[in-house]
Amino acid sequence: MTTKTKQRINRILLWVLIVLMAVWMLFPFYWAINSSFKSEGMLAMTPTTFIPRDPVTREVSFFTRNYEAVFTNQAFLRGIVNSVIVATSVTLLSLAIGSFAGFALGKLRYRGKTATLYIILAMTMFPAIAVLTGLYAMINNLGIPPIPSMIITYMLFTLPFTAWVLTAFFRELPTEIFQSAQVDGASPFQTFYLIMLPLTAPALVTTGLLAFIGAWNEYLFALTFTSIAPDARTLPVIIANFPSQFSRQIPFGEIMAGGIISSVPLIVLVFIFQRRIVAGLTAGAVKG
Amino acid sequence: MAREGSSDLAKREQRLAYWLLAPTFIILLVIAIYPLFSVFYNSFTNNVFASAAPGEFVGFQNYQRLLSITVRQLPPRLDEAGQPIVDPTTGAVQYESAVTVLPREPIRFRPVTQFDLFGSRFVLGATDPSFIRAVWDTIVFAVVTVFLELMLGMIVALIVNANFKGRSLMRAIILIPWAIPTAVSSQMWAYMLQPNRTGFFNTVFWYLGLGNGEIPFLSDPAWQLPSMIMIDVWKTTPFMALLLLAGLQLIPGDIYEAADVDGAGPVRQFFQLTLPLLKGTIAVALVFRTLDALRVFDLFQIVLGQARYSMASFTYYELIQNRQMGYSSASSVVIFLVLSVFAVIYMRSLGVKSDDH
Repeated sequence: MTTKTKQRINRILLWVLIVLMAVWMLFPFYWAINSSFKSEGMLAMTPTTFIPRDPVTREVSFFTRNYEAVFTNQAFLRGIVNSVIVATSVTLLSLAIGSFAGFALGKLRYRGKTATLYIILAMTMFPAIAVLTGLYAMINNLGIPPIPSMIITYMLFTLPFTAWVLTAFFRELPTEIFQSAQVDGASPFQTFYLIMLPLTAPALVTTGLLAFIGAWNEYLFALTFTSIAPDARTLPVIIANFPSQFSRQIPFGEIMAGGIISSVPLIVLVFIFQRRIVAGLTAGAVKG
Repeated sequence: MAREGSSDLAKREQRLAYWLLAPTFIILLVIAIYPLFSVFYNSFTNNVFASAAPGEFVGFQNYQRLLSITVRQLPPRLDEAGQPIVDPTTGAVQYESAVTVLPREPIRFRPVTQFDLFGSRFVLGATDPSFIRAVWDTIVFAVVTVFLELMLGMIVALIVNANFKGRSLMRAIILIPWAIPTAVSSQMWAYMLQPNRTGFFNTVFWYLGLGNGEIPFLSDPAWQLPSMIMIDVWKTTPFMALLLLAGLQLIPGDIYEAADVDGAGPVRQFFQLTLPLLKGTIAVALVFRTLDALRVFDLFQIVLGQARYSMASFTYYELIQNRQMGYSSASSVVIFLVLSVFAVIYMRSLGVKSDDH
């Protein structure tokens, strides 16, 4: 076999793998879109169809009432608002507080630094389920409403992660900038927010995105803290326990439509910020 | 610069560091450390959630009920002549009922599973079979998913590390399963796994002549774990792939050029160059993913509910459904301890740069 044919075979093999991989990754999402355009009758067809078809005429037909139903569903609309409030607040708070910590951990000299680094790293792995009981009891005793509860408790996973990733970014900034600013008479805090913070803007975008996605998708705390407060439910809780208003069975068409609507913002973010997200994800887990 | 001045500066710097770290540590103290201690404390009581009546201190009783297991040999059922009864059609020996050999005092043991060893039948009994089953299922789930994710994640990482048109599009595509909320993807897969031909999998299996088109993927215990594993592998392989990709990108390209010159084929290059150089990344990724898989909650709670538990969903239902705060705290502590072991291994393998200049 010549090298050329060998190369061509390799190329074909690579593309076969690429296509297989893309189908595997995207098919469940395609299936959800497909199902979201089916009426109850179309969903009940056996065997099921790969594109929405009319049960009688077998012709391709798209049923859009699921989306109408979802967008007129008060619980779902409130869920969108709740999710936006919670995820945005968590992101902003984590960035503000986490960048303080990240700057101290990455650039300042102080006693006990190794210990604090270890604590932050350990906290990035803290299992939420281990403190669920204690947190819920605390929230209950203090009478904190569910939405502020979620905003505060989500920092359990967003804050250590944000601080940890930002630490790595701050550390990579040249120390000379920091020192020369100090020589020029800037206080360390001025150096932080006038000089260092603008330089880490890309890192803030990255960690902010990851915090937002994490908060948007969080389920355990949201489910627990809103168990007696349906009005405060975020999208994941609503999708997982979809309130069936009209249909007798589980309203899969509406669930799929709602699921797609709540995934779209994330997919948009992924396509715009692919590079940053990848960098942030791996910085949090691999680089020390 | 004068000595005094620089030490003054150092002092100021140190004070600033403490001020900057304070908010983070105060928040973590309130939402992590304090609740953790209260969970530890509660795990020794029989407190009921949101109840005005105070519970009592019960010592290790919750742990005893959670974790007690025993293995007993199961005697064969004997006929009047003292011979074991054998099923005439299958030829299988019939055994006594498991409850007859399991202890009833001080807490009643119930059977979890039976197994054959050295020609005898044994029964595994536990005081809380649901929890023991949840622990076992979670461990099996974690080991199998992490293994499959490593294999598939490696393939995915090698592909998106290769040079081809549309590579960055492909990298965005593999982020989609990761980015979609687990609540959504769990519902998507639950619908694909419907127990009749309205579901994708039953339809495809039926077209292929496998099964009768009515495989109960989510209600048949034999299919439940494989289904969960399949969903989780789809969802988290991308993350594994990204971790491995980050490792791959750190390997300098000229090593491969040298190998090419030496005439080593791609397979040999992978096993003799890539894999050894990636060992550190793989170790970190494995521990990280194991930690994640052991605390799986969303998927189990949404798809299986109370039909089958993971350790986390067991804890959740004990708290929310049964309001057993003491008992669910004890299972939280067990999860915490198990995960801590992995977390320590993870931190060891990662190594913290403390870089004091």
